Amino acid sequence: MKALVFHAEKCIGCKLCQLACSAQNEGEFNPRLARLKITSHYTRNGFDVRGQTCDFGMGCVDICPVDAIVEKNGRLSFKEELCTDCALCVDNCPNQVIVKKEKGIGICVQCKSCTNWCPTEALTFEEVNK
Amino acid sequence: MAYTGKILRINLSTGKATTEPLNERWAHDYLGGKGLSIKYLFEELAPGIDPLSPDNKLVLMTGPTTGTIVPNSGKLAVAAKSPATGTILDCSIGGRFAPELKYAGYDAAIIEGKSKVPVYLVVEDDKVELRSAAKLWGKGAHETEYILQDILDDFVTMVIGPAGENLLPMACINSELYRQAGRGGIGAVMGSKNLKAVAVKGSGGVKIPNIRKFSATMNKIKREDTMTDVNMWAYSDGTPMIVDLCQTTGILPTRNFQEGTFEQYEQINSEAVKAVRKAKKACFACPLACGNYVQKGKATVEGPEYETLALCSSNCGISDLEAVIEFNRLCDDYGLDTISTGNAVAFAMEMTEKGLHDFGIRFGDIENYLKMPALMANREGVGADLALGVRTMAAKYGGTEFAMAVKGLEMPGYEPRGSWAMGLAYGTSDRGACHMRAWPVSVEAFGDIDPFTIESKAELVKGMQDNNATKFCVILCDFWALSNERIAEILSLVLDRTMTVEELARIGDRVYNVARLFNEREGFDRKDDYLPDRIFTEKLTTGATAGKLLPREEYEKMLTEYYRLRGWDDNGKITIAKKKELGL
Repeated sequence: MKALVFHAEKCIGCKLCQLACSAQNEGEFNPRLARLKITSHYTRNGFDVRGQTCDFGMGCVDICPVDAIVEKNGRLSFKEELCTDCALCVDNCPNQVIVKKEKGIGICVQCKSCTNWCPTEALTFEEVNK
Repeated sequence: MAYTGKILRINLSTGKATTEPLNERWAHDYLGGKGLSIKYLFEELAPGIDPLSPDNKLVLMTGPTTGTIVPNSGKLAVAAKSPATGTILDCSIGGRFAPELKYAGYDAAIIEGKSKVPVYLVVEDDKVELRSAAKLWGKGAHETEYILQDILDDFVTMVIGPAGENLLPMACINSELYRQAGRGGIGAVMGSKNLKAVAVKGSGGVKIPNIRKFSATMNKIKREDTMTDVNMWAYSDGTPMIVDLCQTTGILPTRNFQEGTFEQYEQINSEAVKAVRKAKKACFACPLACGNYVQKGKATVEGPEYETLALCSSNCGISDLEAVIEFNRLCDDYGLDTISTGNAVAFAMEMTEKGLHDFGIRFGDIENYLKMPALMANREGVGADLALGVRTMAAKYGGTEFAMAVKGLEMPGYEPRGSWAMGLAYGTSDRGACHMRAWPVSVEAFGDIDPFTIESKAELVKGMQDNNATKFCVILCDFWALSNERIAEILSLVLDRTMTVEELARIGDRVYNVARLFNEREGFDRKDDYLPDRIFTEKLTTGATAGKLLPREEYEKMLTEYYRLRGWDDNGKITIAKKKELGL
């Protein structure tokens, strides 16, 4: 099974991945709308780089009470017409990469916009053991 | 939507925030960033105002590509009348403040008046709030940003340090600790308004027609036009790469511009910086990541950039990289521009060594060197004198001929005696000695064009100034070497009109002229477009520039030719015909 993997040591914090994701999936640019979260900033404890991506843990599929999130052929898809906006998936995503929208949610659909844009291969789409 | 169409205006005297429509005519003619902020200031500031009075305004201006995925589009223009020079002043700051302001719904924020007590401004979409900065005032820029990180959730901040509070002419504005709107005392303008920080967070998105296709086109541009061999020095090295180039060509300012080579340059060059590098860091939407996060001994900083290495290292006779890194961090934390600060320290060193005035510091004196940022920012001891900047120090104690500044702004790290066009660029820059208005060293000292002739240099400098002015309007980072054809192509996709290279050239020229007109209104003319005497009268003695100076009469000819190309008269005033042509 393939999933997004983040390599913090290569990340330059440019946010191009999140911009690409928000454009592809939400039709506008703002990293906050992206279905992955990358932060790279200075804190009291030094330079801090963190990445949260969908690791295909399938927790959202399991927890959705109405089967609005389904896995098919190694990809997730979301059926807005079934969604009741309970936000259980959003609250229970261990990586906090499901975006709550006015109606429904946004999940990583493995469109690879982020990996296509990453200039340093800090984001890769790799085989992971599940 | 290249523009949100909305300007946020905050009056600190009344505490009131209002919004108003963006002036579309001006946005059409000046695009954004540098040009549009200068246009607003030209129209709104009365001539002759005191830059540190409530009459001055601080403009934070985005551009038509801000917030999008266009490579290198993350910069913000920060503009005001300069307290260092009395000229117009626009700085550009990286990091990610600009996109955040746009996501909050604004093309620009204009901050005017003066608060009675220290405050900071918090902008979250439509919510605009002034909060007491009583507990932040007096704190370092770094500590201030950390505290704001604790109080505010995921905001981007711009702050000043004690130098800004104490109104130093070399006070800068910081963001994300190590990104600066550095020059001309822009931080003092903020300090004069009792404004310690601005924090912004935006939930809105920027929409572009056919956004998926647009992204694909930009990704192609990123691969084929941004991440090229010509540009990748930024990632592999960053600006420290320039140390070796300047050393080889004899234009590395050394011991207050007494020489153009530094015998210990290998201790401060890119190899030395890379040896202590821990990470690379980019501004928003930049794949080039010129930033170097370094650590040596106990010293750590994002930097030092070339300008810091030149002015605070070789120019102060300091070769200990750890000391330079620590000096860099101190300057950032106290909110000091390293170019002007390095110059002030170097000037004090030469004055002391020559016995003209004892500032108690000599070239290479690391112990006292490291004390200077704090003394200057707090205006304590000798720091009170250094905090005046080299022009005023010279007026007080002498040494005018080697007070290395133009219009009162200290000189960056390129020796004009080894790059004559660079001299003209310093002389005719709209904000005093600046390397970002035009950077002809790239083709003169580092390229194939003879640096020791005035032949075709006026044309070279004008062209570079216009191109960079356009870039800073869009607003793109000047580190991306890209053609006007490419800028026109990108803008045509973003704006609802077709942009041409001809129109871009007109915009660059218009922006340079409105800046000149602002300065002309303040009394500036030819007499102010000269370099310090050292450049005209003293020969360099080492390296590739040994025996070289920039003869005054050659400079005069170059300047006159430059005015002619600009459509200005021999006194450097814009002719009526030129004003008409540009609709000024």
